[in-house]
Amino acid sequence: MVDIEIEIDGKVVHGHSGENLISIADREGIDIPRFCYHKTLSVAANCRMCLVDIEGNPTPQPACSTLSSAGMKVHTNNEKAKTAQKACMEFLLINQPLDCPICDQGCECELQDVAMEYGSNVSRFNEGKRIVDDKGIGALIQTDMTRCIHCTRCVRFGAEVAGIVEMGATGRGEDLKIEPFLSEGIQSELSGNMIDVCPVGALTSKPFRYEVRSWQMNSIQTIARHDLVGSNIFTQTHKSKVKRVVARDNENINETWISDRDRFSYQGVNNENRVLIPKIKIKGEWQDTSWDDALDFATNGIKKHAKEGSQFGTLASKNATLEELYLLQKFTRGLGSDNLDYRLDVSNPYNAKVLESNISLTELETIDHALIVNSYLRLEQPMINHRIRKATLNGASVSTINAKAFDFNYRVSHSVLTSPQNTVATLSGILKALLDKGSQTLPDYLNTVTVHQSHIDIANALLNAKHPVVVLGEHVNGNTCSDQVAKLVSEIAKASDAKTLNASLTGNTHSAERVNFKPDNGKNALQILSSDLTAFALFDVYPNFDCIDSENAIKHLSRDDAFVVVMNSFDDESVSSFANVILPIASFYETSGTHINVDNIAQSYSASVKSAGESKPGWKVIKVLADLLNLQGFDFTDSSQIADEALSLTPSISEIEVPINNSEMPNVTTVWQYTPYASDVVVRHASSLQQTRIGQMSEASVCKATAKLLELSEGDFYKGVPVNINESVAEGCVFVHTHLPRQLGVV
Amino acid sequence: MISNQAKKEIDIWVAKYPEGRQSSAVMQALTIVQKENGGSLNNELKQDVADYLEMPTISVQEVATFYENYNNKPVGKNVIRFCHNISCMLNGSDELISYLEEKLDVKTGEISKDGLVSVKKVECLCACVGGPMCQIGDQYYENLTKKRIDEILDGLK
Amino acid sequence: MNNICLKSIDKDNPSSLATYETMGGYKVWHKILHGELSPEKILEELKISGLRGRGGAGFPTSLKWSFMPRNQEGQKYVVCNSDEGEPGTCHDRDILRFNPHSVIEGMAIAGYVMNATVGYNYIRGEFMEPYYRFEEALKEAYDAGLLGTNIKGSQVCFALYSNLGAGAYICGEETALLESLEGKKGQPRFKPPFPANVGLYGKPTTINNTESFASVPEILSRGGQWFADLGVVNSGGTKCFSVTGNVKNPANFEIPMGTPFSDLLKLAGGLRKGRALKGVIPGGSSTPLIPAAKAMKMTMDYDSIEKAGSMLGAGSVIVMDDTTCMVKALTRLAHFYYDESCGQCTPCREGTGWMYRVLKRIMDGQGKSEDLELLLSVQDKMLGNTICALADGAAMPIESFIRHFREEFEYYIKHGKSMVENDG
Repeated sequence: MVDIEIEIDGKVVHGHSGENLISIADREGIDIPRFCYHKTLSVAANCRMCLVDIEGNPTPQPACSTLSSAGMKVHTNNEKAKTAQKACMEFLLINQPLDCPICDQGCECELQDVAMEYGSNVSRFNEGKRIVDDKGIGALIQTDMTRCIHCTRCVRFGAEVAGIVEMGATGRGEDLKIEPFLSEGIQSELSGNMIDVCPVGALTSKPFRYEVRSWQMNSIQTIARHDLVGSNIFTQTHKSKVKRVVARDNENINETWISDRDRFSYQGVNNENRVLIPKIKIKGEWQDTSWDDALDFATNGIKKHAKEGSQFGTLASKNATLEELYLLQKFTRGLGSDNLDYRLDVSNPYNAKVLESNISLTELETIDHALIVNSYLRLEQPMINHRIRKATLNGASVSTINAKAFDFNYRVSHSVLTSPQNTVATLSGILKALLDKGSQTLPDYLNTVTVHQSHIDIANALLNAKHPVVVLGEHVNGNTCSDQVAKLVSEIAKASDAKTLNASLTGNTHSAERVNFKPDNGKNALQILSSDLTAFALFDVYPNFDCIDSENAIKHLSRDDAFVVVMNSFDDESVSSFANVILPIASFYETSGTHINVDNIAQSYSASVKSAGESKPGWKVIKVLADLLNLQGFDFTDSSQIADEALSLTPSISEIEVPINNSEMPNVTTVWQYTPYASDVVVRHASSLQQTRIGQMSEASVCKATAKLLELSEGDFYKGVPVNINESVAEGCVFVHTHLPRQLGVV
Repeated sequence: MISNQAKKEIDIWVAKYPEGRQSSAVMQALTIVQKENGGSLNNELKQDVADYLEMPTISVQEVATFYENYNNKPVGKNVIRFCHNISCMLNGSDELISYLEEKLDVKTGEISKDGLVSVKKVECLCACVGGPMCQIGDQYYENLTKKRIDEILDGLK
Repeated sequence: MNNICLKSIDKDNPSSLATYETMGGYKVWHKILHGELSPEKILEELKISGLRGRGGAGFPTSLKWSFMPRNQEGQKYVVCNSDEGEPGTCHDRDILRFNPHSVIEGMAIAGYVMNATVGYNYIRGEFMEPYYRFEEALKEAYDAGLLGTNIKGSQVCFALYSNLGAGAYICGEETALLESLEGKKGQPRFKPPFPANVGLYGKPTTINNTESFASVPEILSRGGQWFADLGVVNSGGTKCFSVTGNVKNPANFEIPMGTPFSDLLKLAGGLRKGRALKGVIPGGSSTPLIPAAKAMKMTMDYDSIEKAGSMLGAGSVIVMDDTTCMVKALTRLAHFYYDESCGQCTPCREGTGWMYRVLKRIMDGQGKSEDLELLLSVQDKMLGNTICALADGAAMPIESFIRHFREEFEYYIKHGKSMVENDG
C-alpha cells in the first residue's frame, strides 16, 4: 500500500492508494453524507448520497466505491456535488412516510440528520406513495418497512457479520422489499445489531417501541456482564429505569457490536419478579421487615448456627461484581471458613490454572485454525465466536470435538462427535498423534491409547497451522473428568504450539479467580452442598438453575439445622422454600462494579439507575454484615476502593498435578446446556428474549441406539425435556439444550 | 418435494458451472420446479430448491421474486404473456389485449373461471417485427389479429 | 444486404452446421487450430475492421478484448450477451435462430484470443426457440469435435454452454448479467472494478453482444479492411437493424453502416397509406426520439445519428407516424423502465416510479401545468447519478419526447385527452 496525496475541497490529505475516498474523508473530518456505507460492511454504493465531484470525471462519483489515486482532486460540496446529493435526497424522501412524530428513530435518525442539510422544505411529490406491508421478524426487532430506504446495511450485516443469510431484498424496482423468507423471526444471536446499523426507523427495538423519546433519556456508559467479553454498552435511562441498551464502540473488545443477550437483558432488571424488600422467615412464614431487623436476624442466625468458621459456607453467582466477590471471600475467610465457591454447575471443579487463556480477542482474528472442544461457542460466547468467524473469512479452518453437531456460522472442516465419557480418550488420541508426529516421548498414560484416523486429522490440522488456538467450552462442566479434559487440552496446545482459550466458565469468572473465590483446602461447591455445614450465605444463587445437582442442593439447604442467608435480586419459589432470610440486592445496571474479561481487562462501571425498591448494592450489604459481625478490613465507603484493593492482588499460581486415568464414567451421560437466554437470572427474566426461537429451545437430543438403551421414543420426556431422536448426537449421551430449570437431580 | 426427474434435469444445469457454483443453476431449477407444479411456485418448493442447491432460502426467494418468469401465486394452466411495449402498441396490441380479456371474461393477472388461462401483460419480448405478439409456454405467437387469437384460444387445453 | 450475421436466413436448414460450413463457416477456427492465426493478428484485423459493440454501447471490440489479462494464470471467461431486451430490437433473436454457429465460432475465436477456455451464451429466458436452436448447434459443434479440450489435436481448449435468463431487462447490462449467471438477482455491479479484472465468479471476463460475436468469423475470413469498407468512417461494416412500428413490412435488415434512413424506411415497406412520418427512435427505446424532418436527413451510422441528436444504440428503429399519440407512447415507455428497474439505487428506483406516476396522471386527465417542468427536472436528476445506464435510458425518452412534442403534452394536460385523433 503506497501512501498518496489527494486533494479534497482544496485541502491536501493523505491516504493509501486504493483506499476509498469516503474513509479518507472520514479520517480527515470532512463531511460526506451517506446511508449505505458502513465502515465494517462491504461497499454497496446504492444509496448514491455520497456522490462527489472528481475533476476529470463528467459525472459525479460515489465516494464510497471510488478508490483514491495520487493527485486526485475531489470536491464534496461544490455545485455539482451538492446538486447530485440534493437530487438523491429528494428521491429518498418521495416515498418516505415522513412519520417522524411517531417514529422511535426520531432524533437519532441519519435520514433526518442528512435531510436537514440536503432536503428541501416542501416536497414536489404529489402522487400516491408506495406502502410496504411488514413481515414480522421476531420478538426483538420491530419492522416498519415503509420507512426503509433500501440501503441493505441489514442484509450485509446478516451475511457478513452475523454469518447467517436471513434477510434479503426481494422484488424489483420500487417493490424492492427487505425481508426474511418466512416470518418466524431472525435467528442470529447478533440480530439486534441490525437495529443499530439501520439508518432510519425501519428496524427498531421491539421491546422499546413507543416507550420513551430518545432525547428524554440519559446515556450512561457501562459494561455487559453476561459473558467473558464484557462488551461495552450504553444504558439509556429515563426516570431511573433502563429503557434501552445500545452498543458502544471498543475496537479491542466488542468492536461495534453486542449480542442480543447484552442488548435485551435489561428487561429482566425491570421485571416485577424482583426482591424489593428484606424478608425473614418466622415459623415457616415469610415476613417483610426493615433492613436493620433483617440484617440482625441474618447475623444472629450465622452466629448461632456456625459456632466454628468451618461450619459456614458461601456460594456466589459467577455474574457477581469483582467487588462483591472480593468482599464475600473476605467475609467468609474472616469468619474462619475456607468453604466458598462460585463453580456451581461444575461436577468436578478443577483449578483454573490447569487451562489458562493466553490469546486476546483481537489476536483471535489472526488465527489460521481453531479447535473447539465441548462448546456451542456461537451461543455461549457470541462475541468470541464473532472473532473466530472473522478469522475464517480470512481462510482460517475450524475443527470441533463435541457431543452434538452444532450449527456454527462458519464451515467446520472436521467435526468429531464424542460423548463426555469418551472425551478423555479422544483427546488422548489426538495428543498421542501430535507427539508421534513430532517423535516426542510419550508420557506413560498415553501408552495404551488408541489413535484413530479422526484424531490424526485433527492433529494434522493443528500442526499445519501457524497460529492455531484450542478453545474449551461449557459442556465440560458436567464431565466428572473435567480436570483431565482441561489438562489434555493444555497438553495438546503445548504439543502443537497453539494458544488456548478457556471459555468453560463464563460471566465474571476471571474476577472470581482473581480474588480466589475458591477453597484453598476447604469445601468446594459440591461439597458445601452435601456435607454437614449448618450456615450458608448465598449470593444471587438460584439452585434450581445454577447448581449441577439442583435437587440435592435444595434438599440440603432445606435441612432443619441449616441457616441460609440469601442475598438475591430476584424472587424464587425454591429459594424461598429453604432460605431463612432474604436480603434484596441490586441487579445489573443498579450497582457500580467491575468486570474482568477473558483478556484480563478490568472494566469498572458506575450504576446507571437507582436499585429497585429497597434493594441495595450487594457490596454494601456484605460490608454491613461484616461490620455487624465485627470483621476487620471492611472500611469502604466507595466501591472503587474495593476494586483497587481487589485488583492489587496477584492471584495464586500454584500448579496442580492432574493425573490422566480416565476414571470410570457411566455408559450414558447427559450434557445439560442452557440456552444463552437462560444462562443467568437477569436474562431469564427478559421476556422478549424468551420469545425468540433460541430462547424457546428445549430438546433432549439422543441418537437412535442410545434412545433404545434408555427406552426413549419421540414424544417422551427426558428429565422434563422433550426427546428428539436424531443422529447428530454422539452415542452414549443425551444432549439437553433447554431453558427449563435443572430440577431433576444430577445430570 | 422436488421429483427425481426434476433433480435429474437440475443436475444437467449444475454440470455447466464450476465445482461449488451450483447456485448458478437456481434460475433453471425454479423454472423446472415451477413447470412441474402447474406453473407456479410456493414456499415449500423454494425451500426444497434452496436445500438441493445448498443456498440460503432467502437468496432463492430473491431470485423467485426478481424475474418475470416466476409466478409466486397460482396461475391458469396456460399463461398468455402478451407484449404491450412500444412497437406492439403502435400496431394495436392494446385493442387485442382488451379483446382477449373480454373473450375470456378475465382481467390481466386473474385466472379464467375454468382455470385454463390467465393473461399477463409483459414488457418487450423482442419479436417486434412480428408484433402484436404473445408467448404461451415456450412458443411465440406473432402477427396476432382477433381471428388468430380465436384460433389460439381454441387450441388451448 | 444480410451478408454476414443474417447470411443464412434464406437458406434451407439455415441453422445447421452443414449450411454454415457451405457458407465458409469454421474456416477461421480451423486456421486457428492449425496455429496459422495468432491472437495479435486477430486483434489487428478487428481493429482495422472498426467493429464496435453491437449491443448498444458501441465500444471498439478489439480494444475491449485487449483489456483481458490473457497471460494471467487462472480461469478466464467469455460471455455472450444474448439477453436481447431493448424495446424495438429483435435481430439477435434471428441470429440465434438462423445463424447460431456464427456465434459459436465467434465466441471460440474470442476465447482463443483472450485465453479464456470457458464461455457462456446468456440467452434471455423467453427466447426458447433460439435457445433450442442454439443447443442443437452446440451439439453439432461438439459432435464435430470443434469444441472441448485439445480440439482437433491442437492445444486449444474451449468449452461453451448456453445459459437461460428468466425475464429481466436489466440482465442485458453486462455486470447484471454476470450476477444473474452466478445465480443471483440481476443487479448491476459498480465499476471499477471492470469485468476484465473481476468478472464471472471474480475471474477476468469479457462480455460481448450476440451480433458482435457473430460478425467476427466473417471479418477474419474476408479481412478487417473489407469489413471497414462496407461502412463509413467511425462506423465500419454492416449492422442489423430491426425496423418496427408504423411501417408496412417490419423486419430485420442487415445493411451497410451509412445507409440513409430513408432507404431503410423503403426497405421496410415505407409508411402505411396516407400517413406521414412523425418521429423515429433510432436505437431502441433508451435513445432520444428524433423528429421526422431530422430523421429523413440522417444516415444509419454512429456519427450521423449523434448529429441528429440521438444514438445508434442497438439498432432498433421504431417508426412513429402521425397517428401516434406521443403522450401515450411516452407513458408506455415510462412504464417499461419503472417495471424493469432493478431497484438497487435510489435515483432509478424512485425516479422511474415518479415519472410514470406523473405521466399516468396526465393520461388520466389530471395533469397539472407544472408537470412538464417537473418531469424534465426529475429526469435530469437521474442522469449520470446511478450505478448503471437504465436510469439514463429512462431519462432520455422523457427529455426528447417533451422537447420535440411539447404542444401535445400541454394539450393533454389542458384538455384531459389526446391531441391526436386516432392514436394507433
